[in-house]
Amino acid sequence: MRIYILILASIIILTGCSGDSSPNTPEVGNLTLDFNNLIGDNNLTLNSRVYTNNSDETYEVSELKYIISNIVLTSATGASHTIPVEDSYFVINQDGATTATLSDIPVGNYTGIRFGVGVDPTKYPIESGTLNFIPTAEEAGMLWTWSAGYKFIKFEGIYTTTTDEDEPNTFLYHVGSHGATLDNYKEVELSISKEITSTATASQTINFDVAKIFDSINTLSLEEKSDIQVDPENAPKIAENVQTAFSIQ
Amino acid sequence: MLLKLQKTYKQHLVYSKLKYLFYIFIFLSIGCSSDNNSSSDDEGYTPIPNPELTFEIPSNFPETTYDLSQNPPTERGFELGKKLFYDGQLASDGVVSCGFCHIQSFAFTHHTHITSHGVDGKIGERNAQPLHNLAFMQDFTWDGATTFLDSQPIIPLTAEKEMNETISNVLSKLENDPNYPEMFANAFGSEGVTAERMFKALSQFMVLMVSANSKFDKWQRGESVTFTDDEEAGRILFDTNCASCHAGSLQTDQSYRNNGLPADPEFMDNGREKVTGLPEDSFKFKVPSLRNIEITFPYMHDGRLATLEDVLDFYSDGVEDSETLDPILRQTDGSLGIPLTSDEKNQLIAFLKTLTDNDFLLDNRFAEF
Repeated sequence: MRIYILILASIIILTGCSGDSSPNTPEVGNLTLDFNNLIGDNNLTLNSRVYTNNSDETYEVSELKYIISNIVLTSATGASHTIPVEDSYFVINQDGATTATLSDIPVGNYTGIRFGVGVDPTKYPIESGTLNFIPTAEEAGMLWTWSAGYKFIKFEGIYTTTTDEDEPNTFLYHVGSHGATLDNYKEVELSISKEITSTATASQTINFDVAKIFDSINTLSLEEKSDIQVDPENAPKIAENVQTAFSIQ
Repeated sequence: MLLKLQKTYKQHLVYSKLKYLFYIFIFLSIGCSSDNNSSSDDEGYTPIPNPELTFEIPSNFPETTYDLSQNPPTERGFELGKKLFYDGQLASDGVVSCGFCHIQSFAFTHHTHITSHGVDGKIGERNAQPLHNLAFMQDFTWDGATTFLDSQPIIPLTAEKEMNETISNVLSKLENDPNYPEMFANAFGSEGVTAERMFKALSQFMVLMVSANSKFDKWQRGESVTFTDDEEAGRILFDTNCASCHAGSLQTDQSYRNNGLPADPEFMDNGREKVTGLPEDSFKFKVPSLRNIEITFPYMHDGRLATLEDVLDFYSDGVEDSETLDPILRQTDGSLGIPLTSDEKNQLIAFLKTLTDNDFLLDNRFAEF
């Protein structure tokens, strides 16, 4: 009888404490999201390669950055794991870090990922943790200091048009939300097939097709407008295009 | 007898099982709780008592817009916020603190110059706004550039013509300061000088700046005050001519409007259009609260009007037409502005002075020294 009780007790102890996810019960793993900025099939090369958009304008890119946030992983069973707010904001920078490392993910098979491009105005900065992203965004030049708001996408370079091939002009797209009047935050949902284990950090490549910034749902011509910042007509078009630019290999 | 013995034996068995379960329970409790203890021990910081401060909504006020449950003001959070507010270290020159342009005796606005000064004697483009009743405001600054009080300080901290700093640099100064790390820990219950904590502490200090004890407030609440004849005449004039924009207890409807102030060619400040990008918002600015208006001179977003008389003269005779001029300033006869006689202006000014809240201006909790 006592033996049974001890066995029962052991079971209680083991199951009781395992919920704490203490370090001696390994049941979580890490996942690195590797953002791969492409034009066509090739990696984006800054400052040296010349690309052409659908408006027959040739361009070089000097800077490409965007904010990834509010990451949620979904499993085949329909369960989801939300990365805590304070660990869920990243600046992806073609000239710097293009990865986002997520930790403490429950082990298992995941079939979907959802993330935001930009900063969700309903969470910022109400929810704890979001204000700590400010220094990171600031260092990356992703803050509009005059408005205390974020640039969600920063895309800059030079371009020439077919009519004036000799004269390169600069272009600049800075897209964010406009106070409380216009929300340009977008969410992206992709299918993945990824096993998270406690023994090795998994890696997931997410492609970002840079050409789609100009040409996707909407077509943007640099000759028509090369400086788009707080622009209630064009900024939402860029945000919509960017939302379509992510894919899984 | 046998039956009784059997029963006793069974009872004994049950007790012994229960005893085991009891020990197991104790073991479980210790086993699981020790995890929690060890994690707080690791931080090497023992929180000290930090009582929450009460925030009372005055009975003549609307609900707060600031979510106090997300950042409840505490004694030590408020203390930290106050130190930050008055600390020149937050600026690149080590001098220009928040309190430099927001002076309590002038309802936390800036005097002696038209637009406000920043580091290295740089001059801004706008007149610092008074700070009061911020917990009730929908958005902040003259053009509504930020919707959250917690993020508002980013603007003055980083603006080149104001405090000209970076948030990262401010944080590193605070981390290396002999007092701040401990103050941050005491305010938030664990070690860590973070951006979030800095902004939340500033908000804790600022949300408690409630101005609700002027003669006007007491009149609104039906307390025993009587307006003089001029004040009462002014109040009636105010209700018909001004209160559609300067509405309610907060003395603002928090909308953005073009009041017909001619654009200053030096700044060409297009106001709200900067935030929304919409041409229809051109030259619109937030309707300012008129609380403590007697002592928050100079007036208008660029501080171009020095006295209340100048302001009323502007509304009666100086309103300039433009595409975005607020329709409320177009009279049915085609004239612009608000027609007022000089007697009416005097009565209005008498009423406006009932909005001065000396209890707030002299409240020692907010005083720098």
